[in-house]
Amino acid sequence: MFLQLIVSGISIGSIYALVALAMVIIYKTSEVPNFAQGEMAMLSTFVAFMLLASFGQPFVISFAGALVFAVVLGVFLEFVFLRRAKDPNVLSLILITLGFEMMIYGVASWKWGAEQQSFPFPVSDFDIVNLGPAVVSYLNIVTLLVTLFLMFILFLFFRYTKVGIAMKATQQNMLAARINGIRANRILSITWGMSSLIGAVAGMMLAPIATLDPNLMLDPLLKGFASAVLGGMTTLVGSALGGYILGIIETLFGGYISLQFKSIVAFLIIVLVLCFKPSGLFAKHYVRRV
Amino acid sequence: MKKNNLAVVLACAMILSFVIIEPAWAVRGVTDTEIRIGQWGPQTGPAALWGAVARGSGLYFKLINEEGGIHGRKIKYFIRDDAYQPPKTKAIAKELVEDKEVFAFASGVGTATGMAVRDYLEKNRVPWIGPAAGSVHWCYPPEEAPYLFGTYPLYCDEAFLLVNYAIDKLGKKKIAFFYQNDDYGKVGLIGAQIALERRGMEFAATVSAEPLDTDLSSHCMKLKAAKPDVVIMWVLPKHGAIMLGTAMKLGFKPLWMTTSTLSDYQPMYKISKGLFKDVVFATFGELLDSPHPLMVKYHEAQKRLEPKERWGIFYYAGILFIEPMVEAFKRCGRDLTVDTFIKAMESIKDFQGIGPKMSFGPNKRQGSRSFFIARCTEGGGAEKLTGWMTSDVDPYEVKKRLEQ
Repeated sequence: MFLQLIVSGISIGSIYALVALAMVIIYKTSEVPNFAQGEMAMLSTFVAFMLLASFGQPFVISFAGALVFAVVLGVFLEFVFLRRAKDPNVLSLILITLGFEMMIYGVASWKWGAEQQSFPFPVSDFDIVNLGPAVVSYLNIVTLLVTLFLMFILFLFFRYTKVGIAMKATQQNMLAARINGIRANRILSITWGMSSLIGAVAGMMLAPIATLDPNLMLDPLLKGFASAVLGGMTTLVGSALGGYILGIIETLFGGYISLQFKSIVAFLIIVLVLCFKPSGLFAKHYVRRV
Repeated sequence: MKKNNLAVVLACAMILSFVIIEPAWAVRGVTDTEIRIGQWGPQTGPAALWGAVARGSGLYFKLINEEGGIHGRKIKYFIRDDAYQPPKTKAIAKELVEDKEVFAFASGVGTATGMAVRDYLEKNRVPWIGPAAGSVHWCYPPEEAPYLFGTYPLYCDEAFLLVNYAIDKLGKKKIAFFYQNDDYGKVGLIGAQIALERRGMEFAATVSAEPLDTDLSSHCMKLKAAKPDVVIMWVLPKHGAIMLGTAMKLGFKPLWMTTSTLSDYQPMYKISKGLFKDVVFATFGELLDSPHPLMVKYHEAQKRLEPKERWGIFYYAGILFIEPMVEAFKRCGRDLTVDTFIKAMESIKDFQGIGPKMSFGPNKRQGSRSFFIARCTEGGGAEKLTGWMTSDVDPYEVKKRLEQ
């Protein structure tokens, strides 16, 4: 049972890790935790579902279409709403993201209704691989690989590309970045687009297991946020590791201690981390000079 | 002085206008030509799946109006979205009673939402028929809520009947229970527990889930470790589908049984990717393709009047729960007041529409305690396994255990 709990923890941890990555990308550039992340992912997943079910498109096209939509959605929200905010401080930007969350939830409920939908996926969650006494499904393996791949790509992107370095510069000091010729607004738009894309991947990986409805990402968003806090809101690898750690802790807690209190473990972790290591387990404590 | 005279004249005119208008509204929500009825139901939010109940009632009223109404009165129906949030339900009840002046409430999804307004409706003598939840809180004791009539059989009844069926008919011995950690799940759990206790048996395992849980692997492993023959699920439809998928992955294959809230077998079959096949469920209404004349009539009306709606169990449950209400309107004739309506409701005995037989009385507010059991078949069909069966679980005992 122990091994199976660990494997299951890693499987759900992959989803938390993707959501955490998506949140951290935005946080790294604007220091805003995007609470609309979950609903943006849900909306993109519904777009993929619509392309699959209503337009009869093959999975690859639907998946790609949803990713394009996700990028456009992210850029649109940043360009149309966030950029228009006058003298925004972090709190007002967080409130705007909460507004998005409600807006997108409303739109999805209106368009697709509340009934659960079966999300077709080419990889099965029922075909399994035996790992000794534990089993893992093909879908879990694919999710894990996709997460690791995205982590790797993002790592390279932030470390070696000009845009990635510009993103980091924008987060550290937007004014100085602008003086050095970085178009900070454009950088923010790109950030939102990328973040939305990664969220959409998380949504499309989760929907085949959890069924698709407007509430798809409610729980994963909270857990993804907790993972990011646990690993560190400023580190991509750390936040993703936070997702895996949270997934494993949560599953072990449910298996051995209490199922009733399983869902509050994440929040307990947020409180503990904020009390004892506010920057997260894997992030360097960052002090800004005034 | 002149101004004072004008004020007196205006005041008199106002008082007179009330006196003139008053006879038409002698009974709140009833005029010569209409009866006003309200209903809340989640059209958005996490429970919106069950919002179909309120729309199903709407279809029924449309059909009645199309047929000329009841004794010359058409039904004017007010439907409101409470998003499954009790504070919103409260505001809706107040608005519909005090502003729209409805005569009665039809159905309404949710235990917490219904309980939030029950006392208010009772205080204002507003009849309320068929809350869409099998809670033991509605009608026990009946004198607590004389204007409330329950038509959804109780959750504890269906759990009790499912356990009886599993043991007596299928010869199963080890029963586990997977439930939602709230009133809904616990009432089911207690009903099943009572059935086991009567045979000197115990659960092989009981495992609870929280409504927001997405990953049910640890739940499934706990159930699997107990090696049950049967697992009874008392959860959200979404959790039912996730549990079936997780169990399949982990190679756990007991007989699955479930509650009427998961009895919408076509979508359940679809969202579980076919794993709902062979799941045994309790239900309070005829199956989707039933040849029952009323089912045929309602289905035809749905195709004609509300073609965009899906013909599912929760949709026509909106009709089933309030059929006795319409019957009582018919029995009242033209003399429709709250008192005559309550008397007419109390006079209903062995009334059967598309649900179980319902009987009410001066001290009997819960109309039915009966379910039948069915099984989901290949392709998302269903077959009846039993006829109507009635439970004799003591609701007061269930309430007592629930409060412990």
